[in-house]
Amino acid sequence: MTPGGTARDGEIEAFVVDRYLESLLSRGPRDEAEVPADLRATAARLTHGLPRYHPSFRFEEDLAARLAAAASARAGRLIEFPVGTVRGLVSGDERAGTVRPVVIRGVLTSAALSLAGAAYVAWRRGRPPANAMTRAVRAVVRARTV
Amino acid sequence: MDAARADPARFDPLYRKYVAQVYNYAVYELGDHHEAEDATERTFLSALAGLPRFQERATPDDGEGASTFRIWLFRIARNVVAERRRRWRRRPEAPLDVATDAPAPGDLEGAVVARESAASALRAVERLPGDRRRAVMLRFVHEMSTSEIAEILGRSEGAVRVLIHRGLRGLARELGEESPGTSRKGRA
Repeated sequence: MTPGGTARDGEIEAFVVDRYLESLLSRGPRDEAEVPADLRATAARLTHGLPRYHPSFRFEEDLAARLAAAASARAGRLIEFPVGTVRGLVSGDERAGTVRPVVIRGVLTSAALSLAGAAYVAWRRGRPPANAMTRAVRAVVRARTV
Repeated sequence: MDAARADPARFDPLYRKYVAQVYNYAVYELGDHHEAEDATERTFLSALAGLPRFQERATPDDGEGASTFRIWLFRIARNVVAERRRRWRRRPEAPLDVATDAPAPGDLEGAVVARESAASALRAVERLPGDRRRAVMLRFVHEMSTSEIAEILGRSEGAVRVLIHRGLRGLARELGEESPGTSRKGRA
């Protein structure tokens, strides 16, 4: 609510701000003059400043395997699941134009792709598979790419 | 979506598309990466189990590829997180840390300033009360529309507008954003 204003004023301003924020989502800001400058500045700071946390590759792949196992149990057959790829680093960031901090399980990166992440993928790819399911999947992938 | 509902084996693309978003939501809510991983796992296992009950409410008028799956998934995540928060009530919550071991190639000074700005914004958001914090986070981190947030929080769109507006007002005061006719607060 605007200080000193009525509840109705607050609702109107909330509506105007909402319309402005919706236009930000569509990457076409409009009606800027109607929105107080401090709210515009705060909205911009939040849009670009709040970090996105991303799970580690290990967690993402392990959970994918558990879900595949659960799904296969439901379907009553063995299901192959795709080997994780680097695309996972920026999943959920489909909208172009916004650059914001990305944190992979506590490690802040200055870009969407971190050196630590790339090194981890290289290490995972070069490491012998830890379980039979992973070995089977990699065998399928190798057979397809030959 | 329909493929996954008909065959659980097709769930993987949905998982890959939304795992980061759900994990991100859980980290903001729980402030702990281990707890967030656990909440993410429970969310997706519940979603997989409940997939046959999911009802698509998007219509062709909503655009090609439109789906209410994300809303449904986030509602599950919200319930899972709420359950974990109840268990956590007696435990102190550690603030999220955005400034750990960040590589800062190139503009070191700019990176430090940006990091500090992000950290102060994050701390301010964390101090917002319950649904106000959730609404702001869903809006600015997940870039959800008012209607999506309303569905997830179980509130009316008008209530969500007010939540976000009040949240934004509070954050503007706390972060000392400049407004015509007001002086900038002294936050170095």
